[in-house]
Amino acid sequence: MVKVSVRKKVKPQLKKYEKITEEIVEIAEKLLKENTVEKVIGFGIGIFTEEVTPIFISNPENADRLVFNSKAEMSLAKYLLNYKDQKVAIVAKPCDSRAIATYLAEDLIKRENIKVIGINGCPGIENNTACEECDIRNAVISDYTVGKKMTEEEIEAKLKDKEDKIEKMTPAERMEYFQKEFERCTRCYACREACYVCYCEQCFTEGNQPEWVGDSVKLNDNFTYHLMRAMHMAGRCVNCGACEMACPEGIDVRALAAKMCRSAEELFDYRAGIDSDQKTLLSDYDVNDTESGFME
Amino acid sequence: MNENNEFEPKIAAFLCTWCSYAAADLAGSSRIQYPPNIRVVRVPCTGRMDPFLIIKAFNMGADGILVSGCHPGDCHFLDGNLYARRRFVMLNEMMQYAGVEAERMNFTWCSASEGKRFAGVVEDAVENVKKVGPWQGFDGQGFSQEEGETTVEKV
Repeated sequence: MVKVSVRKKVKPQLKKYEKITEEIVEIAEKLLKENTVEKVIGFGIGIFTEEVTPIFISNPENADRLVFNSKAEMSLAKYLLNYKDQKVAIVAKPCDSRAIATYLAEDLIKRENIKVIGINGCPGIENNTACEECDIRNAVISDYTVGKKMTEEEIEAKLKDKEDKIEKMTPAERMEYFQKEFERCTRCYACREACYVCYCEQCFTEGNQPEWVGDSVKLNDNFTYHLMRAMHMAGRCVNCGACEMACPEGIDVRALAAKMCRSAEELFDYRAGIDSDQKTLLSDYDVNDTESGFME
Repeated sequence: MNENNEFEPKIAAFLCTWCSYAAADLAGSSRIQYPPNIRVVRVPCTGRMDPFLIIKAFNMGADGILVSGCHPGDCHFLDGNLYARRRFVMLNEMMQYAGVEAERMNFTWCSASEGKRFAGVVEDAVENVKKVGPWQGFDGQGFSQEEGETTVEKV
């Protein structure tokens, strides 16, 4: 029998992910062999499922288990807080690299302890609406880079001009919209666990002196929880969309946090996670700050 | 509701002890009349104001809030009110985006000598909140009014 070789058609997009994966594996192997780091935190295929999960690699032989594809949705930056005193390398999407920059700005981790494998020209994550609005597609901080750096024109071409439909509504309509969203919330706190900003050892939802928000799943308390969480996001959220992807009820969790990002940029010309030396928005002030919304 | 069946709002007023609280005191001792709709919470500085306090006030049924601190540059702790200012601006943005009317959120500055101005501020705040009516809560269910709290009963 004649063997017929069928050439598989590979989508250019897929190829991009594969190339990034190859480069990540190569760098990780090198770092582990040279003993520069003790661990590499990255994305890998799960043991029992085909889903992408975070994996922690300390043996150079296992470096080929690292992957990067369109389902690598979680933010790995949060794991850095578990390895504060160890030398670790981390695979960072551009949004993760911004998260790392924010951690550095907040003095939570030491720059010399981490090696960042930054992904340049991030092709985006499946089903993540935040990627459509993302205009930072190159790693902000990195020791090693993989992928091809995207130019500004390329990034702009990828941006979808999406008008915020909530902004156009009247206050009553907006209230109704969010009531409908938060009604479905079961307070599983998946959004909190997925979020890199939410690293508090004791969350405001758990304390009872004072009891900021009731434990029960009532709309009034659900709404309050989401407002309070969004207030903690102010000037720290990098709009990565992890909260929205983690939500099992498909609630528009990101809307409030994204609004805070936009407002911070409009009113204070501030963007979180751009510079690892910047002060966070609310831990700084300017004498000539705006007083929009104040009484006369 | 008052005796004419008009809406009388309950406003949580967070006053800085070094200025606005003293201004309220001055207004009182100068016998300046202002609406009795505010419930004063005395804070050591507006910089101490956690935005959660304001969200919590709405959660518990306040129709509106009033925050008053020292004028920028006059803070007893030098820059507490400047930190607070950013926080309030961001909070205000978020609350309006979530559908809470702008009229319910009142922020202002008031020094200890401005008793008259303080009375004016309270009048403005009450007028603002009256414009948008009773607060129905984040769930839109409204709050059951406690006896004697907002109802002025006819004797």
